[in-house]
Amino acid sequence: MMNLPGLNLATPVADAPPIAVVEKHEHNLRIYTEYRFEVSFARTLTIKLLEGTAEYFGTELAPTQTYSFSGTKGAIFTWHGCRLEVSGEAESEYVAEETGMVAYANAHLALEGLRDRGGLEGGPRVLVVGPENAGKTSLCKILTAYAVKVGRQPMMVNLDPRQGMLSVPGSLSTAAFSSILDVEEGWGSSPISGPSPIPVKMPLVYHYGLANPEEGKVFKPLVTRMALAVISRLEEEPLSKSVGFVIDTPGSISAGKGGVYDNIEHIVSEFSINVVFVLGSERLYSDLSRKYQNRPTDEAVNVVRLDKSGGCVDRDEAYMKQFRQAQIRAYFFGSDKENGLAPHSQTSDFGDLNIFRIAEDSSNAYGHDEDDMYSRPSGIYEKTIPTLSIQNSLLAVTTASPADRQEVIRDASVRGYVYVSDVDETKKKVRLLLPQPGQTPANAMILGSFPEDVPGLVS
Amino acid sequence: MSYSAEVAADFRDALQDLKANKRLEISILTGIAKDNTEHAQAISEELEKHIKTTRPEWKLPALYVLDSIVKNVGTPYTVYLGRNMFPTFMAAFQLADEETRTAMENLLHSWKQPVPDSIDARPVFPSSVTQDIEKFLIRFRAINPQNPLPQRPPQGLPRSLPARPPTQGQMNPWNRTATPPQGRFPAPNDPRNRTGPTYPAAISPPIAIQPAPVAQQALPTQTVDFNRLMADVNQLLLNCQTAHALVPTDVDTKEKLDALKGLKGILESHSLPLHQLQKIREQIDNMAPPPTAQQVFINNPPPAPPFAIPAFQQFAPATSTPDPALNLTQILFPNGVPWTTTPMAPTPSLATAPLANPAAPAPFTPPPQLSGPPLITPSLAQMLAQFCQPPATPPVMAPTPASHAPVMPHAAPSAPVAGSAEWLLNALKGLPPTGTPSSVQATPLSSEPMTRQTSATANAEVELSSASMKRPRLNLYTKLYDAYPNLCRTCGRRFTFTTEGKEKKARHMDWHFKVKDPDAAKRGTHRSWYIDEKEWVKYDEVDETLPEQASNGDGAKAVKKEAKDKYVPVPQDVALSQAPCPICQEKFEHQWNVDANEFVWMDAVKVNGKIYHATCWEEYSRGSTLAAPSTPDSVLGKRKAEVSPAGLGKKGRVN
Repeated sequence: MMNLPGLNLATPVADAPPIAVVEKHEHNLRIYTEYRFEVSFARTLTIKLLEGTAEYFGTELAPTQTYSFSGTKGAIFTWHGCRLEVSGEAESEYVAEETGMVAYANAHLALEGLRDRGGLEGGPRVLVVGPENAGKTSLCKILTAYAVKVGRQPMMVNLDPRQGMLSVPGSLSTAAFSSILDVEEGWGSSPISGPSPIPVKMPLVYHYGLANPEEGKVFKPLVTRMALAVISRLEEEPLSKSVGFVIDTPGSISAGKGGVYDNIEHIVSEFSINVVFVLGSERLYSDLSRKYQNRPTDEAVNVVRLDKSGGCVDRDEAYMKQFRQAQIRAYFFGSDKENGLAPHSQTSDFGDLNIFRIAEDSSNAYGHDEDDMYSRPSGIYEKTIPTLSIQNSLLAVTTASPADRQEVIRDASVRGYVYVSDVDETKKKVRLLLPQPGQTPANAMILGSFPEDVPGLVS
Repeated sequence: MSYSAEVAADFRDALQDLKANKRLEISILTGIAKDNTEHAQAISEELEKHIKTTRPEWKLPALYVLDSIVKNVGTPYTVYLGRNMFPTFMAAFQLADEETRTAMENLLHSWKQPVPDSIDARPVFPSSVTQDIEKFLIRFRAINPQNPLPQRPPQGLPRSLPARPPTQGQMNPWNRTATPPQGRFPAPNDPRNRTGPTYPAAISPPIAIQPAPVAQQALPTQTVDFNRLMADVNQLLLNCQTAHALVPTDVDTKEKLDALKGLKGILESHSLPLHQLQKIREQIDNMAPPPTAQQVFINNPPPAPPFAIPAFQQFAPATSTPDPALNLTQILFPNGVPWTTTPMAPTPSLATAPLANPAAPAPFTPPPQLSGPPLITPSLAQMLAQFCQPPATPPVMAPTPASHAPVMPHAAPSAPVAGSAEWLLNALKGLPPTGTPSSVQATPLSSEPMTRQTSATANAEVELSSASMKRPRLNLYTKLYDAYPNLCRTCGRRFTFTTEGKEKKARHMDWHFKVKDPDAAKRGTHRSWYIDEKEWVKYDEVDETLPEQASNGDGAKAVKKEAKDKYVPVPQDVALSQAPCPICQEKFEHQWNVDANEFVWMDAVKVNGKIYHATCWEEYSRGSTLAAPSTPDSVLGKRKAEVSPAGLGKKGRVN
């Protein structure tokens, strides 16, 4: 009964943790406390605010709504105390007295100060870094949600390909948030052809196609490209410019090689970052603040350390995989709130598809020398014809034409994704799942190794 | 929207004829509302306006109309009317006589119940709407247990305008109401089941009962009634909110509001020892000062004069400078619309007249007209005044301690008078957020940074440093909520109570209504393609709280319209003229087009010798030829110089 049709991800976790069966019960949260919960993908936890105020990563819960969570590790915080009615089955749940919210709210207030004083320079351009599972995305959500709450329109940039923002994993995306974030669906949803109960956000999406930015050679050029778009947009909209943006990053770029954080420096320089929030890692904080301490005032980078919240939990690979698959499923079929989207399935000839596979040997020819990468940009992709091996994988439909040079394809934003549900090598036909009806796009499509195959998306 | 205005005007006309509790008229009005739910907002506004402006004795019938609409039609009226229920209800309540008040309380009671015989178990109005009124009424009854309030209609025309008795022979009009289904109102407490006449035929002659204004201060403090304390705090909070809504920029009010909210939170979540409660009690009592000018705008104009006079006298020194005078006028009529404008109330102009003249002599003599109105019993006004804490705005604040007034009409906020926000904050500081409270007394150590914060300017600076991030600023966080007290209960978005905020929320609610489309699921929606860089850079986010925006660039709507308007002349070729659209296989329809002066196929395009539906073709072509990537130069002009022709510029810093 808890399983919603279409959302039941058929792959149950092999070693499912013991499930604490939780019947309908109430939690009285005192002020400044937080109710933390973990729900598996196969279960649903519903939460209703009975009294007081409560917020889910900065987004306030409405008093008349029942929110349901599935495959979520979340926390509901209260500034004023509240009473929650919880029903369903959670893997774990408890009320925490110690939260990081005071620091996060301070961060918001400090950014608000910068926004008020911003002037022509524009608002704060914020980068959030830190190791995996330090709460980077949560902090980004809180900062975005609070800015929305005080009537601003912040921009959010996601450079973490491991979890999509308003798109599928493997993508890098950016969007402006003018309306509240969706509580149940992470960042919310990109536009659909009908009305949506939560205002949709309009993302700009690029496809990265690998799991780790430290590998491959397309991350930096895409960061550059994204920065161009974001800064151009800020120039178009003075209101957005005064608010600035927040960048979420993957944990891997915070690991560094011998105290050098190549990708972080690249992002700081491309986006003209002036505030860096370092979550959790003392060493990273020390390295970065040393690096940026002696900058001229007009290019000053303020490195600020924030403690990792006690609520951060490690998300193992099994969970992350399910999380990604749920995101891909939601892209085609919609979340349950979107009343189920109707993707379109159709068959195409091999010749109709222009697939560019990301070149596998990424490191040998170009190494870490970025000048090389810029001057000899061929060999990013290799054109492939469909084979059985691409079955169940995701193709990114770019805005580029297949005749374009490879770096144009690389820099092209993405119109959407198609899913290869079947490959018939003898008849030279592929069956594709498109988000909407229409001809098979003749544009260049990028095939990456990430996200991994999603078997059985179309059964 | 002119049609909406028309409907509203019709409704208003009908409403103006409603002068008694007549079944037929009320059911007609309900019918109008029912048939025009799409104009619910305009109608609701009209109804609210009517209740506020009509004569006191005609207010109750209007309220019955409201009641009938919310019970028989329900949403969206409950939403629209619920928003302003408190001021609407209060406007009527203040001017009502005792019997009407009882009737109104019964009405209120019925609103807390579900609609009788309805499957829906929810109350007529959500509790958030009724609660405020309820709280007020409880407070009101607590102060006036015997209700010594034969308050008359305030026009001072006792005989010439007697309160209208109900039409005789319609003793129980509501039971025979046509619109409600039979037995829809069987609840014994339903006010419409009352058999008595709606109004007392005669209103007791004007009696000047002046309940001792000090009654509240005189309350014994040895025993602290927790419930009363809470009620007081709530009342203060309410007043403070009102003051804050009127003058949102006033930092002081805001701080006070924060402090009160904090206090309320503590009272609710901790059980405090008696002596602390007593201290809080004392403080709350101190915060409830003798009547000040502020009550003028909380109150309706008619009862104001008796109080306005002492207020003006206190004000006299201040009015010698034009500035405060101006402010006061603003406070008196913040939106240009007093809470209640009775058609013949002469007082607003009287009240403002002397103030508008900055050169008014210092010892202010009330104009003779002011003594003209017969003595009115403004006990309600007094009661309200008791709860108005002084420091709402500088000019209002000044007179409270009378001695302050002449000296520093503006500097008052800097003086931490007992009962000011600062005291409360100090008191609150003593209470650790999670632990059990140790003492109300603030320890200087912990209070130091807080005080600095509170005394900081409007947007307190929070330094962006690692150390600063760890310092709690509890009073600032509440502003996240309190700055936008007007909550959308559907999605949690917050708005202000200003006119602008209300308009935004209204549009927001409309949007909720629009997207709640039960047919959406059947229509087979699908994910749209993402927009490309060029579009995205120019894209204006759609904000549902703003008035309908022009469509975004080549937004879907514009395209659709264009496609629909395309046409081709009906082809002469027989084969072609019989051919259906190759995409959807539907035949075209002949239509006479005036512009072209011939028969045409609308919504059609001719491509490569074939004729397609323009909309089909567009859909089709959109899929096949997704926009090619725009060259970086044209899209991203900003950094043109830094972008090499290949679109692969060397990294360049952008500032």
